[in-house]
Amino acid sequence: MTAGLKTNLPVFIVVIPMFVAFMLPTFARRIKWIEGTVAAVKLLGLAAAAWLAHMVLYEKDFPVKYIMGGWPAPWGIELVIGNLAALFILTIAIVSLPVALFARDNLEKEVGPKQRIARFYVLYLLLIGALAGMAITNDLFNVFVLVEVVTLSCCGLVSSRKGHGAAKAAFNYLILATLGSALVLGGIGFIYILTGHLNMEFASAELGRVWQSSPHTVWMALSFLFVGFGVKAALFPLHVWLPDAHSMAPSPASALLSGLAIKGYIISFMKILYVIFGHTLMQEYGIYRILILIGMVAIIIGSLSALLQKRLKRRLAFSTVAQVGYLFLGLGLANKEGLMGTLLYLVSHAVIKSLLFLAAGAVISATGKENIRDLAGVGRKMPIAMGTFTIASLSLIGLPLLSGFIGKWHLVLGSLGAGDILSVAVIIIGSILCAAYLLPIIRIAYFEPAPEADWQDPGLPQKAALILLAAGVVLLGVLPGPFIELAGRAAAELLLIQ
Amino acid sequence: MIYLISALSAGLAGGLVVAVIPENRARLRNFCVLFFSVSAMILSWKVASLVFAGIKIHAAGKIGDISWSLAPDPLGAVFGLIASTLWLFAAVYSIGYMSGKKKQRTYFSFFLISLSITLGVAFSGNMVALYLFYELLTFVTYPLVIHERSPEAVKAGSKYIIYNLSGAGAILIAIIITYSLSGNLDFSGVGTPPILAGCMGSGLNWLLLLYVAGFGVKAAIMPLHRWLPEAMVAPTPVSALLHAVAVVYSGVYGVIRVIYSIFGHDLVKQLQLGSILPWVAAFTILTGVIIATRQDVLKRRLAYHTISQLSYILLGAFTLQPWGLTGAVLHMISYSMLKVILFFCAGIISEQTGETRVSNMGGVGWSLPKTLTAFAIASMGMIGMLPLSTFWSKYYLMRGSADGGIWPLALVFVISGIINALCFIPTVVTAFKERKTAPSRETGSKSAFMLVPTLILAFIAVFIGLWPGSVWPGIQAVINRFF
Repeated sequence: MTAGLKTNLPVFIVVIPMFVAFMLPTFARRIKWIEGTVAAVKLLGLAAAAWLAHMVLYEKDFPVKYIMGGWPAPWGIELVIGNLAALFILTIAIVSLPVALFARDNLEKEVGPKQRIARFYVLYLLLIGALAGMAITNDLFNVFVLVEVVTLSCCGLVSSRKGHGAAKAAFNYLILATLGSALVLGGIGFIYILTGHLNMEFASAELGRVWQSSPHTVWMALSFLFVGFGVKAALFPLHVWLPDAHSMAPSPASALLSGLAIKGYIISFMKILYVIFGHTLMQEYGIYRILILIGMVAIIIGSLSALLQKRLKRRLAFSTVAQVGYLFLGLGLANKEGLMGTLLYLVSHAVIKSLLFLAAGAVISATGKENIRDLAGVGRKMPIAMGTFTIASLSLIGLPLLSGFIGKWHLVLGSLGAGDILSVAVIIIGSILCAAYLLPIIRIAYFEPAPEADWQDPGLPQKAALILLAAGVVLLGVLPGPFIELAGRAAAELLLIQ
Repeated sequence: MIYLISALSAGLAGGLVVAVIPENRARLRNFCVLFFSVSAMILSWKVASLVFAGIKIHAAGKIGDISWSLAPDPLGAVFGLIASTLWLFAAVYSIGYMSGKKKQRTYFSFFLISLSITLGVAFSGNMVALYLFYELLTFVTYPLVIHERSPEAVKAGSKYIIYNLSGAGAILIAIIITYSLSGNLDFSGVGTPPILAGCMGSGLNWLLLLYVAGFGVKAAIMPLHRWLPEAMVAPTPVSALLHAVAVVYSGVYGVIRVIYSIFGHDLVKQLQLGSILPWVAAFTILTGVIIATRQDVLKRRLAYHTISQLSYILLGAFTLQPWGLTGAVLHMISYSMLKVILFFCAGIISEQTGETRVSNMGGVGWSLPKTLTAFAIASMGMIGMLPLSTFWSKYYLMRGSADGGIWPLALVFVISGIINALCFIPTVVTAFKERKTAPSRETGSKSAFMLVPTLILAFIAVFIGLWPGSVWPGIQAVINRFF
């Protein structure tokens, strides 16, 4: 029993949330049951993720390949359960549990009646399952399917908010995201035409043989995938949909979108770049330079735009654009430290940004004010919400002992290793700009006189969610051991594959 | 190690305790502030005495693959002693200064937390810990800078944050470059060569520049000094303690640390930048004090004067000579007390008479005779006259510059001394100009809380000036550590 559970664990992690998602509508009227089920699924998911990470870290026979349905590659679908997958699945579990907890009391305000809440949970579980799938699949077509699932559930989550703005934002998002999906599909199609394989490793091997005979097709495939994933991961200048979508969505959804969904695309893109194309091809087509350059521009422009925003959630959304720049920059550094930096930054940003969005959501729903200027004195009236917000902000700025520092440290080390002094400067300027757009919020919240108003911290589950995430931020900063180990091994694997 | 940890956490614990004491329980809060300041002081004296006795105190750990360590060496111990001792005086003074004012809870809470962080800077044993505390110091002192909450305070606060975070960013880059060059960031080992010993290449010039520019923000090297005069909107004890001693000294401390523990004086001698830096400091010394003479607001005058004096210490360190470093460390000790006295006096004057401008202070001396006496003593120290230890530190600084073979630098100290005289003597003379008209305003408990620490400090300053041997062992330990 245990052995069977252990072998099939990765599949369960992906399939169970999706399966439960489709059962939820059957008891849509009993919201308590739904919440209970979701919480149970998430707790199981966390346990499973921790177990998986533990196995990957400490057992010898990992990473393993799981063959779906007994059809071996290259015919069947292969799942690779390695360090990268374990790292990302663990991140998903860590972030999504508090988000579910937070959603419990929040959704009635932001989403509406019971049936809409039930739909929200359906999309939520689909999103989680598909993201986990992205981390483990080794099959290109699977990647496309999962990208579609994530995109559609994200659109649904955005539009689940009451009011017209959300629907409009979701529609914009849908149009651009569909364009992105089409490009991804096109890229995958090109690779399939060239190599005849959908399995990543087979495709990679074949591509190594054939790319010289049709370099332009490879270039097309690469650029389609780059732009497609760029749109989805909100890489500057393809980020135009993100500020609206992420700021209009209900707060738990914003947290998931900014914290996890974008990271799923980046993980997939990372696998496609490093596993399929590999070092030689990326060097040949100059992808590294483009990645670094676009990453740097994204950091600077994203941060500057965040600085100009007057509304809290929009500022956070633009901050995500800037942080995505860091992740792409790390991808372009093409050394172990750089990739480790990207992975660690990805994990820490997932936790930080979901915490920021949840705290912002709590503040906004308690005060009804969206403008940063109107939040004077919130810090005293809502100590938990603003306190956790402060911790997350300091971490995003890159204060040591909090999680953001470690990712930045490795990114800078990676940039130095790649001999790129300019990107070192941009990383640091990025954190100074980050301080410039986050600290004023904290200053206004704590150091300006509060108006007479009955603002209060949210209820117990929401407080618990915020505190859990804040504890995550601190723990990741103080005891990041397993994460660094996983990220280091994953980075080494990705670089060795070629 | 237990002393080290408790010395570090005393201030933090105090800050947290004070934070939960209700605003109107003033006596309880004052008691807590004094209790924790005194215990932090005693504990850091204990730590320092262990360090001077040659006992290695060490606490270390790892954040993932980045290791940190706390391990004070003589230089750190001297800095810790200065900070924690003056903190107690500033705590007593603050109780008087803040009495009857609003938001005391926030003030004292961050005041005590800053003590912990400053001691962290002093006691850190590798660059990661140093960076951590250096960056934290910016954040925990920010609420003190914007304590008044006026628009100009907020503006000064933003400037403070931006300057200091940019500096910290430069330091972070430099630390990571150092790490990738040598794989080692630990500077606490006794008898071990500096971290970068044996490295060569002109790129090191840039690395040194990054470090000096980064720490130079807090050390207020021109042109990175702009935040300091603005930060004078803070309450006077904060200006006195943080912006004349603790915060700016953490920058000075960082520069000395970089030169002597990371590069080593032998390596800096070979770098081109090493021969430029003394002139940057000399420029700051003269320009700072000249601007100071032109300021009418007393606190701003003192601020520009701070900028000038900090570069004395830096210049001493930049000479790369044992005597120069001796002068630098002695000046760290003696200048800090004198500047705190000057600021304390400025605070008393503005609290008791409402005057902040020097031109309006005619006759103030007659209503505040004790204050102005202390002010006069400290002014004499700033000029470098004998009963005060700045005379000795200037002597060693000049000797160090002459040893380094650049005698014009010694001249800088002489010129600066003359301008200092122009800066302070008129102030004192104006204060005692006219005849005695107003009654004495040095009465009441508020005044006593402010006056007593000022006078005690003046007494200590004269004592050290007459018997500089009392601080000599500490300085000797620092010199032996690096040469």
